[in-house]
Amino acid sequence: MLRAGCQLFNPSTVAAAKTGSNNFALEFVRWRRKPRWLPVAKSKVFRVPERKKQSEEERTELMRLHNNYKTQLRSVRQYLREEVVRQQETSTADHIVFTPEQEEAEFQRCLEVNAAWNAQIAKEREVRLAKEREEKVAYIQERIEAGKLRAEEQRERADQRIRHEIEQSKTFITRDNLDAAIETALANPVDHNYALDLEGNMLRGRTTQSLTS
Amino acid sequence: MSLSPASGIGRFYKHSAKIIRFVRLGCTNRPFYHIVVMERRKNQHQPVIEQVGSYDPLPNTSNERLVALNTERIRYWLGKGAHMSEPAAELLGIAGLLPVHPRTYMTAWRNRRAAAAATAGAATETTEKVATA
Repeated sequence: MLRAGCQLFNPSTVAAAKTGSNNFALEFVRWRRKPRWLPVAKSKVFRVPERKKQSEEERTELMRLHNNYKTQLRSVRQYLREEVVRQQETSTADHIVFTPEQEEAEFQRCLEVNAAWNAQIAKEREVRLAKEREEKVAYIQERIEAGKLRAEEQRERADQRIRHEIEQSKTFITRDNLDAAIETALANPVDHNYALDLEGNMLRGRTTQSLTS
Repeated sequence: MSLSPASGIGRFYKHSAKIIRFVRLGCTNRPFYHIVVMERRKNQHQPVIEQVGSYDPLPNTSNERLVALNTERIRYWLGKGAHMSEPAAELLGIAGLLPVHPRTYMTAWRNRRAAAAATAGAATETTEKVATA
């Protein structure tokens, strides 16, 4: 994959570079300066890379070590190969060792165990559900009682208000006693004005009729 | 971005060449390797058959380089004829699962020689300084 500096893309790489997401969010920097198919630079055409120096002594020592290593690894590999075969033969992981009767018996046993578990859990569940049902009944009962109480209170409050209103309605001005009320009001004019002195005393009019008098 | 899971979803042919090797994860200037089993011909970032270990080459605060190996599975895959990359073989040799790799010896003696040369150079420098003074 190439970096954006190079113009020789294929379309998919361009898309990947634009979105910044290639398959593994990897970016290979190895060939970024120059694609592989371009020739060797003119300045490097006649460059001969220097061979790494290796002493004869080191070479023979490495040879010896490698020979030893290969021999040892071969025997280790042989051992491991045998181990794998041995494991495959002795393990029961992959292949069936039961006869059909045994398998049936095993299946029946599993069924029985399962049934026992189910029965036990069913018992526990019955108890739990009964308890929950009782609790729910009690809760609903309580709510009903509370609702009744609330309705009663509401009715009481409404009744009280009605009584109060009836009491009040005795002094209401109606069409019948309207003239009398007007005449009474005209005959008794009320003076709401008053004066305050510096001590805050109310000084009402002496000649007019105020509310308190 | 989608990383292939380490648990191994790599598909493989029964008789294809498998290899135990490193997959370089981590990021720039911070290598981290998974030790995996995968088909030899595949790119390292393809889905693996199985991850059998991890290797953190940078020393941590206690100056340890941490390696984890699932030796049981490594033994299984080696018994199945899986190849090993050279760094993986070196690591397994140091871990004691396999014989020590020759390259380990080679780096060791080269390091020893470099250290000896450095100390010798330092010694000659000090003697020269003493002589000039």
